[in-house]
Amino acid sequence: MQAPVEQRWSPYADNGGTCMGVAGEDFVVVAADTRLSQGYSIHTRNCSKVTQLTDKCVIASCGMKSDAITLHKHLKARMVMYEHQHRRQPSVTAIAQMLSTTLYYKRFFPYYTFNVLCGVDDEGKGAVYNYDAIGNMERVPYTTSGSGSALVMSVLDAQIAKSNQTIATPSLDKAGIVELCKDVLSSVGERDIHTGDYAEIFLIDAAGISKTEFDLKLD
Amino acid sequence: MGTEAMFGLTGKDFVILAADGQAAYSIIRLKNDADKIWKVGNMLFACSGPPADTANFMEFIEKNVKLNELRTGIPMSTKAAASFTRNELAHALRKGPFQADLLIGGIDNEGPSLYFMDYLASSEKVNKAAHGYGAMFTLGLMDRYWKPDLTEAEAIDIIKKCIKELETRFIVDLPGFKCKIVSKEGTKDVTL
Amino acid sequence: MDLLGAPKRGMFRDFAGTGAAGLPNGCDSISEARFALPAVQDPATFVETHFSPGTYEDNGKRVKFSKGTTTLAFKFKGGVIVSVDSRASQGSYIGSQTVKKVIEINPYLLGTMAGGAADCLFWERNLGMQCRIFELRNKERISVAAASKLLANTMNSYKGMGLSMGTMITGWDKKGPQLYYVDNDGTRLKADENKPYFCVGSGGTFAYGVLDTNWSFDLSDEEAIELGKRAIYHATYRDAYSGGVNNVYHVQENGWVQVYSDDTYKSHDKYSAEREAAANP
Repeated sequence: MQAPVEQRWSPYADNGGTCMGVAGEDFVVVAADTRLSQGYSIHTRNCSKVTQLTDKCVIASCGMKSDAITLHKHLKARMVMYEHQHRRQPSVTAIAQMLSTTLYYKRFFPYYTFNVLCGVDDEGKGAVYNYDAIGNMERVPYTTSGSGSALVMSVLDAQIAKSNQTIATPSLDKAGIVELCKDVLSSVGERDIHTGDYAEIFLIDAAGISKTEFDLKLD
Repeated sequence: MGTEAMFGLTGKDFVILAADGQAAYSIIRLKNDADKIWKVGNMLFACSGPPADTANFMEFIEKNVKLNELRTGIPMSTKAAASFTRNELAHALRKGPFQADLLIGGIDNEGPSLYFMDYLASSEKVNKAAHGYGAMFTLGLMDRYWKPDLTEAEAIDIIKKCIKELETRFIVDLPGFKCKIVSKEGTKDVTL
Repeated sequence: MDLLGAPKRGMFRDFAGTGAAGLPNGCDSISEARFALPAVQDPATFVETHFSPGTYEDNGKRVKFSKGTTTLAFKFKGGVIVSVDSRASQGSYIGSQTVKKVIEINPYLLGTMAGGAADCLFWERNLGMQCRIFELRNKERISVAAASKLLANTMNSYKGMGLSMGTMITGWDKKGPQLYYVDNDGTRLKADENKPYFCVGSGGTFAYGVLDTNWSFDLSDEEAIELGKRAIYHATYRDAYSGGVNNVYHVQENGWVQVYSDDTYKSHDKYSAEREAAANP
């Protein structure tokens, strides 16, 4: 008897884009472009990668848009459930662990998303978490994910961590970090075809979340 | 067939088994004092293969042989234990096999008996047997020196000859040989 | 006659069926429904081919994989030393230089991380939960032998599903310092009597070279820590997949302590200066 023939297409796509998060002492900056593309074609120039989860926590996801939408919807639902059960919003650290297990429960059919979770933790400190597709998690001072991540990372290593610097420069303040994020995304847009159009910058501090937008090149 | 050596003989009123003590991952020797000869009831099972499969399979067999004895009040004969083990291997073969090659030695009313069994669940009652690459070097010697009514001292001497041959001819240096004897008095370790 | 029933194998059935794999009775917070599976004929093979860490090294993105690693642990008279690097590479790109590869399961148990980072992290956290439940039920701490067996059983129940984990479980229990090796095949090995140490990961062979020539049971605490650092240093020097920060832990009678954490380039400065001094006295 002939074995059954299995038809299969790839359930995954890479929609490109770049996001980054930088933690400060009592604030955190999140930046991401808004281009949504597949291969050489740009689907839209205005599609946010960032979702606000609580009053002091946002998530930015690169990779596949479809999975990112599903994941963000799921997470927002979990935020509501938590608030109903505990009468307060979950802390950033709690969301971070929950995201890790949420991703791991799809270990055998992963969400094709590369997440950066940012917020201000219970101690009032800036928190940035980096994830792989299946829930490996690390709290870091700064991180980036998406198609231009390798380009971003080397700049952040030099300008934020000040690693391998021959000339000592003062560490950046809040405004300085915001400007750096803008510069980095603009530069990445010059070299990565999947990054461009517009960028969103989220600043989370004691005052709450503020969002600004700025233009990247449209080519 | 892995880079292992495991062999055994029947004697006058006992069965003797020997096995190397290597547990490897890829080309790395992780362990050289592994004990690959398991005591199951009043029998000895030598088991070679990937450490995960052998440990899991032997623990399963050992516990089920014990359970059978508790339920029936009768210790399993060597033949029954070999049949049970073979049946388990045969069933596992169609699901995702245990890669476990076995030598089963025991003594009961039928006298001493030694079973050769591979992971494909072939089983044969024999007087001398070997598994792994070690078999290529030891079977000849065992054929040459084995005789009916072998005494313990003679059997130990054959085992020693086999290990010496492996040391001189096999390109892999297998460490930590362990040797055990099962007789009416029970099982005992042999210091080589 | 359930006696003759074949042991449960063929991973898929085990966790998609009724049982809660890897968890003791009454502890089924990881129930079968929570692991989503692809709707194909043979999910196990599908998962193994598409989602195994290392499968997508080229684009390096699908599953981040700390493929390169050096981790080691050895017993000596003062307990156990655990020494690891901290690099996670995705193909030739260094994903992180600050990975915590020693997983603090609880204040007296440590696990190490090699292979899939998420697999190690998740299942060792799960092991921590199982150990805590054991404590609450039995009013005493779990032995390292039992803890490592819980993890090995879990790995065995997911065999063939593409998990990737090479870990050492270590701690100090009633019988003294203990060290076990557990991997995703379900292998569980107790450390040798005469050479009680393991090295796991791509730099492991280099570390073994240092341990095999310099280890002795009678090392003082300081000497042992120094040996742990040196073995990792030599591994990071030769293995491009290993590097970053060297973290060293010491398992003592009343729990573990972290005794060292610094960039491996500092070890290089120190040891290469020593080598040069020895070459030109």
